[in-house]
Amino acid sequence: MTDPQTDSTMIRPSLRRLLQAAGLGTALLATIPALAAEPAAGTPASEQQTEQKIKALEQQLDALKAQVQQIQSAPAPAPAPPSPLENISFWGYGEAYYTHPVHDGSRSQADLARAVFGIGYSFGPHTRFNSEYEVEHAISSADDPGEFEVEQFYINQDLTRWASMNVGLFLIPSGLLNQHHEPTNFYGVQRNFVETLIIPSTWREGGVSFQGDTDIGLSWNLGVTTGLSFAGWDYAPEFPQYSTALDLENSGAAPMQASHQELALANAQHLSQFVALNYNGIPGFNVGASIFTGEAEKVPAPPASDYPGNQRVTLWEAHTRWQPGRFDLSALYARGTISNTAAPNSQNPGTPNPIPSLFYGYYAQAAYTAWQHAGQRIAPFVRWELYDMGARYAGASPTLPSGDVPLSETPGDVGPYPIARDHVWTYGVNYYLTPNVVLKADYQNFSVNRQFTRVDLGLGLNF
Amino acid sequence: MRARLFLLPLAVISPAYATTYLSLAQAQALMFPHTLLTPDFITLSDAQVGAVEKIAGSRVINREVRVWRAADGGWFITDGVFGKHELIGYAVALDAKGTIKQVEILDYRESYGGEVRMPAWRRQFVGKDDHSSLTLDDDIRNISGATLSCTHLTEGIKRLMAIYATVLAPQPG
Repeated sequence: MTDPQTDSTMIRPSLRRLLQAAGLGTALLATIPALAAEPAAGTPASEQQTEQKIKALEQQLDALKAQVQQIQSAPAPAPAPPSPLENISFWGYGEAYYTHPVHDGSRSQADLARAVFGIGYSFGPHTRFNSEYEVEHAISSADDPGEFEVEQFYINQDLTRWASMNVGLFLIPSGLLNQHHEPTNFYGVQRNFVETLIIPSTWREGGVSFQGDTDIGLSWNLGVTTGLSFAGWDYAPEFPQYSTALDLENSGAAPMQASHQELALANAQHLSQFVALNYNGIPGFNVGASIFTGEAEKVPAPPASDYPGNQRVTLWEAHTRWQPGRFDLSALYARGTISNTAAPNSQNPGTPNPIPSLFYGYYAQAAYTAWQHAGQRIAPFVRWELYDMGARYAGASPTLPSGDVPLSETPGDVGPYPIARDHVWTYGVNYYLTPNVVLKADYQNFSVNRQFTRVDLGLGLNF
Repeated sequence: MRARLFLLPLAVISPAYATTYLSLAQAQALMFPHTLLTPDFITLSDAQVGAVEKIAGSRVINREVRVWRAADGGWFITDGVFGKHELIGYAVALDAKGTIKQVEILDYRESYGGEVRMPAWRRQFVGKDDHSSLTLDDDIRNISGATLSCTHLTEGIKRLMAIYATVLAPQPG
């Protein structure tokens, strides 16, 4: 007969290892002494009893496994109350340019184009605040060209797992660039002309929007916002509104740049609506489109008269981007219309800047990652684009003086009056020092406004 | 690496405020159904951090790695990376050979870039292992408009695979 103590000590170490391996040691080991106290093994009766005990142990093991799974699926303990600082996020981006018109070196300029800082705050699990503040052209004062702007200021509220709402001042989901305008996100020292002059990036409006994603990769976004205003339209600026390509992007001369209100005491008599759809269901491929439409604050009529109808502004665009391997290919078409311009335009005949009834542009761009290593990347690119800020007019067409005209109050500062359309070829390279810091260089060739042809250098960062 | 089962409730990845798409338990049940997962949390040594950074090409911010060993020999790992300026919590399941079998987003709280939750994007990682490039625009495709989330998640998963190769995988010798 085997001594029961000896027998149990033979069983115990192997069971202990088994149970510890399963991570269940302490609780289950408590059952072992019961087994150890059983009578001698070796007889049929004691073998049967041992088997029964092992079965019982198996059942207990199963029960403990179930308990472990319950523990695993139990809700986490409530997190400690976060400090207010934990809920704040801070970010920024900025870009600086050097631009050199090749036909007139005297118009070379260097500019800290924008320095932007963003502040966000989480109010709760489903409510976030985002805001961005921008200083353009380094210094903002009455005597300087700079501006200080609130670029975004909105609450983002989750509604379901796949949908949320924005309320406040937010970016309009138009094109590839407007919502993703940080300098690391685009090729070339400056943003492309189509998404500056036709889509007035960085374009934001105040209002409410709803957006969401789906499992199949379709994203949607729709909203009701403030719209445009023609109350301050300048039919006859004293000087041409721009005389270089850099001026062109900064001047605010383009139809929607000149009429968007940026929620600065914006006229809100009429509200605009937008819808945007994007498909991202195939990794590396995007196709999307959007439309924005709304009546604008109308052009002021002369005393004791009125212009029939309000101006309705409609802008639609379609875009695609395909990133197969090292290539990054994109294309975009944008087209805007403004209604009821005939009457106010005909009241301002012979001026250089009537309100267009149609404006549009498109581009195609190809970039290629020629080299990358440890976060650094060199990507040359080429872009061809066309913009026409005044493709059609009603009531009156622009009357532009021929020959050279004064471009500013500076004596001798003369040049041709710029034309509101062009074809531009851009050849350049983005050199990413990290994915968030980029050095850029490009050459831009203008077909119509040849005096705009230029070489640019740039620095961009985003964190 | 000692099992520490009863620390489990403390290990739940749960940033104070986030939109949670999968809880830890849900992710574990989804990625390792009916399989016992045993916590096997590790703290990387200086030498291991150096080795991981060399392989992954990115910095190790958190030396604490939340790893569960699956009864079938696989691994369940959770991690967090920044999207643009908010943390994205995610989980990676490896099979017994160290091949990625699933990637799930646990929580996401950016206003933009949430498309990384799309199954089609996450499926790109399936079948990759510690020998894969795991580089955006190389073997992992980008999502236009979600570049930062795609970049940082891809970096994070590459880092986890480097940790697998350095610490978890059977070491030669």
